[in-house]
Parts: sequence; C-alpha cells; structure tokens
Amino acid sequence: MQANRLNKGGRIDRSRQLNFTFNGKGYQGFQGDTLASALLANGVRLTARSFKYHRPRGIVGAGVEEPSTLVELMGEDASGNRPATTVPLSEGLVAKSVNCWPSPGFDIGAVNQLAARFIPAGFYYKTFKWPNWHLYEPTIRKAAGLAAAPSEPPATGHFETRFGHCDVLVAGAGPCGLMTALTAARAGLRVMIADEAGEAGGALLSRRLTVNGAPAMDWVASVVAELAALPNVTHLQNATVWGYREHNYLMVTERAPDNPSLLERSWRVRAGHVVTATGAIERGLVFGNNDRPGVMLASAVQTYVNRYGVAPGKRAVIFTTNNSAYEVAADLVAAGLKLVAIIDSRDHVPEEARVLVPGIEIMAGKVVIEAQGGRQVRGVAVAAKTGGSARILSCDLLAVSGGWNPTVHLWSQSRSTLRYDETLATFLPDTPAQAISAAGAANGALALSDALRSGAETAAKIATTQAPDIPDAHDLTYAIEPLWRVETAKGKAFLDLQNDVTVDDVHLAIREGYSNVEHVKRYTTGGMGIDQGKTGNINIIGTVALAQGVAMDNVGTTTFRAPYTPVSFGAIGGLREETVALPYRHTPITQWNLTQGAFMYESGARWRRPGFFPRAGEGLQEATNRECRAVRERVGVYDSSPLGTFELKGRDVGRLLDYLYTNIISTLKPGQCRYGLMLSDDGLIMDDGVCLRLDEHRWIVSTSTGHADAIHSHMEEMLQTRFPEWNVFITNVTSQWNNATICGPKARDVMAALGTDIDLSPDAFPFMAFRDGTVAGLPARVVRVSFTGELSYEVNVAPRDMRALWLKVLEAGQPFGILPVGSEGSHVLRVEKGFLSLGHEVDGTVDAYDLGMGWAMSKKKPDYLGKRAVQIRREGSGVRRELVGVIPEPDRQIPEGAPLTPGGRKEKTEGFVTACVWSVVHDRWVGLALLENGHSRHGETAHVRLKGGDVIPVRVTAPCHYDPDGEKLRS
Amino acid sequence: MPYDVTFTRLETQALYDLKGPRAALLDWAGEALPAFPERPNTATGDGVVLMFIGPDHWLVRAELTAEESLETALRPSEAPPEISIVKISDTLAFFRIIGPDAGEVMAVACPMDLHASRFGREAVSFTEAFGLKALVTRCEGGFDLAVEQSFGPMVTDYLSRVIS
Repeated sequence: MQANRLNKGGRIDRSRQLNFTFNGKGYQGFQGDTLASALLANGVRLTARSFKYHRPRGIVGAGVEEPSTLVELMGEDASGNRPATTVPLSEGLVAKSVNCWPSPGFDIGAVNQLAARFIPAGFYYKTFKWPNWHLYEPTIRKAAGLAAAPSEPPATGHFETRFGHCDVLVAGAGPCGLMTALTAARAGLRVMIADEAGEAGGALLSRRLTVNGAPAMDWVASVVAELAALPNVTHLQNATVWGYREHNYLMVTERAPDNPSLLERSWRVRAGHVVTATGAIERGLVFGNNDRPGVMLASAVQTYVNRYGVAPGKRAVIFTTNNSAYEVAADLVAAGLKLVAIIDSRDHVPEEARVLVPGIEIMAGKVVIEAQGGRQVRGVAVAAKTGGSARILSCDLLAVSGGWNPTVHLWSQSRSTLRYDETLATFLPDTPAQAISAAGAANGALALSDALRSGAETAAKIATTQAPDIPDAHDLTYAIEPLWRVETAKGKAFLDLQNDVTVDDVHLAIREGYSNVEHVKRYTTGGMGIDQGKTGNINIIGTVALAQGVAMDNVGTTTFRAPYTPVSFGAIGGLREETVALPYRHTPITQWNLTQGAFMYESGARWRRPGFFPRAGEGLQEATNRECRAVRERVGVYDSSPLGTFELKGRDVGRLLDYLYTNIISTLKPGQCRYGLMLSDDGLIMDDGVCLRLDEHRWIVSTSTGHADAIHSHMEEMLQTRFPEWNVFITNVTSQWNNATICGPKARDVMAALGTDIDLSPDAFPFMAFRDGTVAGLPARVVRVSFTGELSYEVNVAPRDMRALWLKVLEAGQPFGILPVGSEGSHVLRVEKGFLSLGHEVDGTVDAYDLGMGWAMSKKKPDYLGKRAVQIRREGSGVRRELVGVIPEPDRQIPEGAPLTPGGRKEKTEGFVTACVWSVVHDRWVGLALLENGHSRHGETAHVRLKGGDVIPVRVTAPCHYDPDGEKLRS
Repeated sequence: MPYDVTFTRLETQALYDLKGPRAALLDWAGEALPAFPERPNTATGDGVVLMFIGPDHWLVRAELTAEESLETALRPSEAPPEISIVKISDTLAFFRIIGPDAGEVMAVACPMDLHASRFGREAVSFTEAFGLKALVTRCEGGFDLAVEQSFGPMVTDYLSRVIS
C-alpha cells in the first residue's frame, strides 16, 4: 500500500512494482522511483538522524542536493552514505539509515540532544586534547556515524576507468546542456555530454513547462534522438562530472554503463572546452527547527509530485523569498494537495506569481519563525518579518524556497572565480581560469528561454558559428529578495543540515576570532563533507555577512572540492585490482621458477623474482642455506636479467662516464669492464655498476635493478642540461639482454660443458673482462664479474634465447651439482663478501669513504659529479658512520635495521645493522653495520639494542667475512 | 555488451633504434630504409617500417625474419659515431588489438587521443598504456601496442580483464 502515491502522473512505470526493504521493513515502489520517492510514497517521514545531534531528519531534496537522508545499501549493492534521492529503486533493494542505532525511530545517540548546548562547533578541539586526541578519536568517530565502507568487493563485475577526448564537454543534460551540445555537434565539434540523472531533461523532468507549444519533454526526446544519431557525440546519462583538474582534465563517473560486466566506469576526459550547464540548486531557509522531517525544498516537493506521482504531505505550507515557489504551489494544487498558505518574506509579491495560485492565501512580508513538531512537522509559527506575535498554521509539509544558487562547483574546481550578483542574490561565475564557460541556470539564466539561449550562444561562440533559433518557451520571471536567516528564539536554526551546523555555531566561530569564511568553514565544518555546501553554503556566507555587517562580496566564498558527489573507490581505481593492482615484470624464466615451486616476490623496479627454491619440508632458511652451499662448494646459477643495461654510443662517452663515475672509466680497453660508483650532486652514493667497452665508441653501462630508470634519466639529464654539445647517444637495452650468472668453484667446468667458442682460461679471459661468442650454440656476451665472491660467468643472451640457455645450463651443470639460486641466497653471499647493496649499506647518507671504498674515488681526475661535495663534507669535523662487519656474540640473528647504541644503553644511536645472515662458510650469524668511526673500531665490541631493551654484543670486524683477498673471484 | 575485440601478443619483431642527424643516417643506411617520414610521429614503409618517434630518433620495425638482413644492411657495430644504431628487437612486446571496439579498449589503456581525426593511419607515438611506457600504431582493424618486454605478461593480464 503506497498511501501517498497519487493516482496518476509521474514518470514511473506503475505496471512494474518493486519490493524493497528499509530499516528492516518491507515496502513497495515502482520502476522509475528513487528510494526517496518510494519512501515518501509509503509515508515514511522519519528517514535519518543528524550527524552530530542525532536529531530526527527526513527527506529534504530530490537529487544530489539531499543533505539529510544518507543511506547504507546492503547486499549486492553494498555501498555507504548514498543520498536516498540518488538511489534508483530496484527489486530487492535493502537499505538502512546512517547516523543512528538501532533505528531512526529509537536512536541511542539521540541523547546528544540533551547535551547539545555543551557540544557546539569545535568543542572537541578544545576538550579532547589530553592526553591525546587519538585516545578519543575512535569513539567520537563511531558516535558521529555515517556508514562503513563495504567489507567485501562486489561479487560480480568490475570497475573500469578509461580516457576520453572531446572538443566540448557539456556537464549537464538539462535544457541548456542539450541546447549547447546540439549546437556544438551540429557545427561538427566532437561533443561529450554527461548528466547525473537517469534520463536527460534536468529540471524539465520535474516541471510542467512547454517548448514550442508541446510538453517540454517532447523537445528533450527529439534532441536526445538527434544527438544519438550524430557520430561526433558521446552522450552519457547516469554520469556525473565530479572533478575538474588542470588543463581541462575532468573526471566523469558512469554509474550504469552499457556493458553488463561493468559496475561503474570512470572517464578521464581531456576537453578542448568545458561548458558547465549544471543548473541551479534551491537553497533552504533558516529558522527555528528548520530540520524537522517534513521541511523540504519546494523544488523537491514539485519533483515528487510531478516526476514520481507522490504527495510528500497532505497539508502543505510554502515559505518563499522568490517567484519560483508559486509555480510549485500551482502544481500542488493541480495535483490535489491541500495548500494552506504561501508565506512570502517579500512585502510585495509580483502579480505574475499571484495569478498562478488563485484562491490561495498569500501572507506577504511574513516569515516562518519556527517549525513545530518532533519527529515530523505538525505546524509552523508565522510572524511578521519585523517581529510581533505568531500565527500557527497546521500542516504536515513545509516547502521552502530561499532562492536559487547556480551550481558552480565545477566552475570553482577549475579555479575560476565567482562574483556576487545583487539582483539574483547569489554567486555567479565570473572570470574563467581555463577554457570553460558557464551556461544556463549555472550562469544565472534561470528562466527556461534564457537558459536555452545561453546554451546556444555559448556553443556557437566556441564553434565560431551562428547561434541557432531558440525554441519558444515560457517561464515565470525570477525575482527574489534574499533572506539569509530568520531571527528566531526557539529551536536550532540550521545552516548546513548534513554537518549539523547552526547559526549559533557560526556566531561562535566569529566570536572566537574565526572571521574569515575559510576559517568559519573549518571551525564549524559547514560546507564540508559529501554535501560540499550544495544547499547551505550561501546561507552561511549570508549569516557571516549579517553578523559582520559587510556585503556578501566582501565575505566571499570557499573553494568547492571534488568530488561533486560521492564516488566509489572502485570507480577511481578501475581495473587496478588483484594481480594488476601494481605493475609487475617477468623474465623469461618466471614460468620455470613457478613450476619449480619458487617463492616469488617483488625485488626492485617491479620485477618479480624467486626469493628461494624450497624443497619439501624446507623453509626460507633451509632452502637458502642449501643454495648458498652450492655456490660456495660447487656451482649455482641465478637470473640477473633485471639489472639495468644501457648502450652508449659516441665520441664523448668516455668523458661522460668519467664525469658520472668516481673512478676513471675512459681508459678501459675494448673487452674490459670496470666497476664504478655514481654519486649525486651532494656526493652521496647513487648507484654502482659495471661499464663495458665494446669498441672505440660503443659502451655498455650496467646499473642496479632498482635504479635503472632513475640512472637512465640521470644520464639523459646530464647530457641535455650540462653537456648538450657532447656526442653521446643512450639506448636502453635492459630487455635486449637477459643473463644467467653461473657462479662457484665449478663455474668454469659448467661453461666448458655448455660448449663455447670462448677461451675460458684465466689468462685469456680474466676477471673484469668480457667476451662475445657462442655459449651452448647461442649468441652470447659473457662477462666475468662477481656479486657472490666466487668465480662467475654472466652469460648474456637475447631474451628469445634465455629459456633455452637456462635449461642448458641446468643440464650441463647437473653433474657438478648445480642449483638455482634465489634473491635470498644472493643476499647472503654478498653479505659474506661485504659487498654493498643499495638500500642496505647505501642508505642515502654514506659516501665511498664511509664504505671503505676510497680507492674508487679518483685522485687523478680534476672533477667528477659529487667530488667537491664529498671533499667539503669530509673536511668537516662531523662523525661518520662507517661500514664494518659484525659478529653477534652470542651467536644469534639480529634484525636488519637494529640500532647500535653505546654500551647498549638507551642513548642516541651510533649506527645500525644493515644486514645479518646465516653464513654457510662460518656456520654462524654474520652481519654488516654502519657504525660511527667504525673503521677504527675493528676488534671492539659494540652493542645492538633491540626494541624492548634486549642487548646483543657484537664483535666489530672488517666488512669482508669471506675471501678478503678476492682470490676466488679472480681464479 | 562486452567489448567486441580480440587481442594477440605478436611474435618478436625486428626492431632497430636509430639516433642522430637524419642526413647522417641517410648517408649510412638510406638504401636499406624506407623514405624518412617528414612529420614527427608518423611512419613510412611497408614491410620494413620507419617510425619518426622523436627529435633525431627513429625506429625501424619489420617481421623477425627480416632481422638478419636488416642487421647486414644497417651494420650497427660499424656505424660512425655521429649516429647510433642499436638492435632492440627483444625489448618490446607487441600486442595487436582488433575489432569494432578496439578504440574503446585502447581508451581504457591509453590516455592519448586515438580518434581517427587525431591519430591517422600513418600515426605512431610513444605514450602510456596501463601506466606503462608504450608505443602505439594503427593496424588493419585496430591498433598495435608495444610495451617493455618484461611487462608483457602484465599487459596480457590487463587486456584479458578489459575485454572480459
């Protein structure tokens, strides 16, 4: 039984009844209803509680402006804080109110009303300071309400983001937006038009106007059909333009895209020009208890009557400051509602308004000073604007119209300015900051014919064409005398219903010195949240103006924030979920690694690499120990393809490398390679790597995996900004070369077993040399460098050959006990050797001397990047943290990053442990650390202080725990 | 309805990176190449395609079967220092996206305006796809999209999600 459903009318399908549940109770509505219209049709007046005071609230608006009735949707539609007016009714919809528990009818939080005078705006800033705001925060946030985010993602479907481009983006498909789009599209421009409603028409959906003598919606239908037939038009409904960024970059979210697998789709649109045809939003009026259920915007009442065939009440009173409410009054009367009276704050009501409501009492120069009733309006107290005794009018619906505010949110987001217009008593778009125009009601053209003309002329100007003829449309002239608030002694007078901000709150803010409107906003929270001041902002500004005795222009506005309406996180993230939530990179060996049961993870620059290869019953430590033993005792192989690789070509490559690296590179002979350190401008280590000279003018630079892209950019920057005349070309060949690094005492045997035309003898192919040839029948470049401290051959091949090489290496190495080695094993092996690792020992504070690598700092070169900075720093008297080895005594693991403090006392740290691993060579834990004056403290005992106070003594040693003379790697 | 599109990862393509003054490149390898494109971000040639992708920067693309002959003709290791010719065939993974909705799928991946009026048959450009650096060209019935080879599995993953 839909008690308040009118017998006829509305753009609903009465043949399709829908069942839904609200706060646990079942109701029926029709296809085409919103949740709000269906609730009103069922006579549900108390639909919510307010955010702070938990006062009873009802439905106020009919669209995105709804400030009070936010709902949480359950089940498949799960989402939070949706205005009930924007939720399309669907079969089986389940919704509940927010800000209340257990129900809006009986809400425990309503106790706040008893303490309301003690909890004005900003009370928590002053009250909950000791000992810590965070102590109170969870409770306050819970008490403040709003819905929780859904705990689970939608069971089916996915979100999508996409890009879009157009010459003109029209925000809004009301009469002005349609006229704009049509004019621009006919002129051949690529047009995108997006509108938040389920169908085009804007305010025409709710009003009984005519265009060219026929119902206005006929004209809408014809325009929509013409736009649909034009290939240069993209028309989106159920799509809100909610964000406006630099360079005409806008965000649009479709809530019902035409792809069944999509839940929502967000467009990131780059528009040549933007037209905000976003219409206008009616504002409320400010008087005592103006938040009672049954106090609604007049335009919303009109929408429910005309668009949804719903009577929001049985006895209505209208309270207005302008002409537009008279059209609403006429519609109510036509629909058969009892209209008790029209309260008009103006002393003189224009005749063209009066004639619309013959026989209805018009109380000019009067105001509503108080709404009466608790859980819904029972009556209103009316008095002269100048004061005096009140007359009580019995009613269950109060339709208010404080005037119309152009919807300037997008305009404001574009950083374009606003100006106050005295005639319209509102802020209008002023100076555009980007390629943007405002048109129609959004630009103050509030009458239908003016809006149509505005749209046509705006589009014609953009398209540099003639404006077309405007359809014939009659509308009431808009006239207003602003009323920012009614002086009232009874009841709270709300300015911002969503954030529970009252006139008293604004006055308090001003008294406490928050006189600027931006400060008032932050002190009171007025205009914040998902509402973004749609109905209340201008009344706050008006209240500030009245309190300070200044003009509205002098108060100014705050900046509207994106999003204009709530947007799902999913719609922003789009497809970025599950496996593609973050980028990932594979080498050709990934599948083999997975087949072998490798434990994979990201290890820099988004590469997914094997951490270790566990066998049955093994954990990380056992597997890593086994892999390390293979390398130290026999042979291992690992995939180091992700290392950054660049080919440099030109006459000045040597000069560039000498500038970038701390040591001399240019003296390399073809076939040789050299290790080097790269410093930043401030003399700190940026990267380490190996340079190979291919011939006189061609070089290869190998960088660390994680810094490959950064070093590429760095080299290009140096060339383009400091040495633009130098002849150097850089080509990224990281993915042109993959490599399998064979390392261990048996590495040469495995190379020989693979079959190669390269002479592997130490004399012919020494350490820090490379050779081109074939390995296992594949074209290869073999480099003798070592990151493990063992004899190593880095066999580089094209990725197309990498998998074949890998399998052949394992086959050839099988007789020698070869094992694949993961990143964990590599880490252990390099720590045993005392080799540095970016992110561990190179932590952004150390230079080469700190790491005991002064030998890499050329004394011969007159200059290189970072040299002077290192000199200046080292000439200072500051204590340096220097790289040392540490041996825990007793033998136990130390967490990486654990601080070293003097004597293990709770004092300022003197360093930290950069790495600690189980050494298969020493059969005990060994580590590396950065320790103040560490180089001179070998043999001393330092102390690790753990969280909780445990202290681990460590013996300080040289950093190299294995083969300090490097005989093995040179073998 | 879901997107009417098919995508395939192409076999490795023969690719050479050419840098340096156009005149010097013409002198060195002009006979092995199509006519140099006059306008930036356009390509010339059929079979062997020459793409103008940046200041003094071109890419040569062909089927892998042409790689050996290109290597012989371009002689990268012998080229004079004023130009750079580097084989980069394995650096890019190519995807062919074709079908009536190819443009829609590309709009999910790529921020660049690929409308025919802006990005014609001969157009070529580096841009982004799924947040990755990508090379985009048109092909018969759709687009070719190339990303750094190691991201190939991820782009396969992404495209599968888009068209599902």
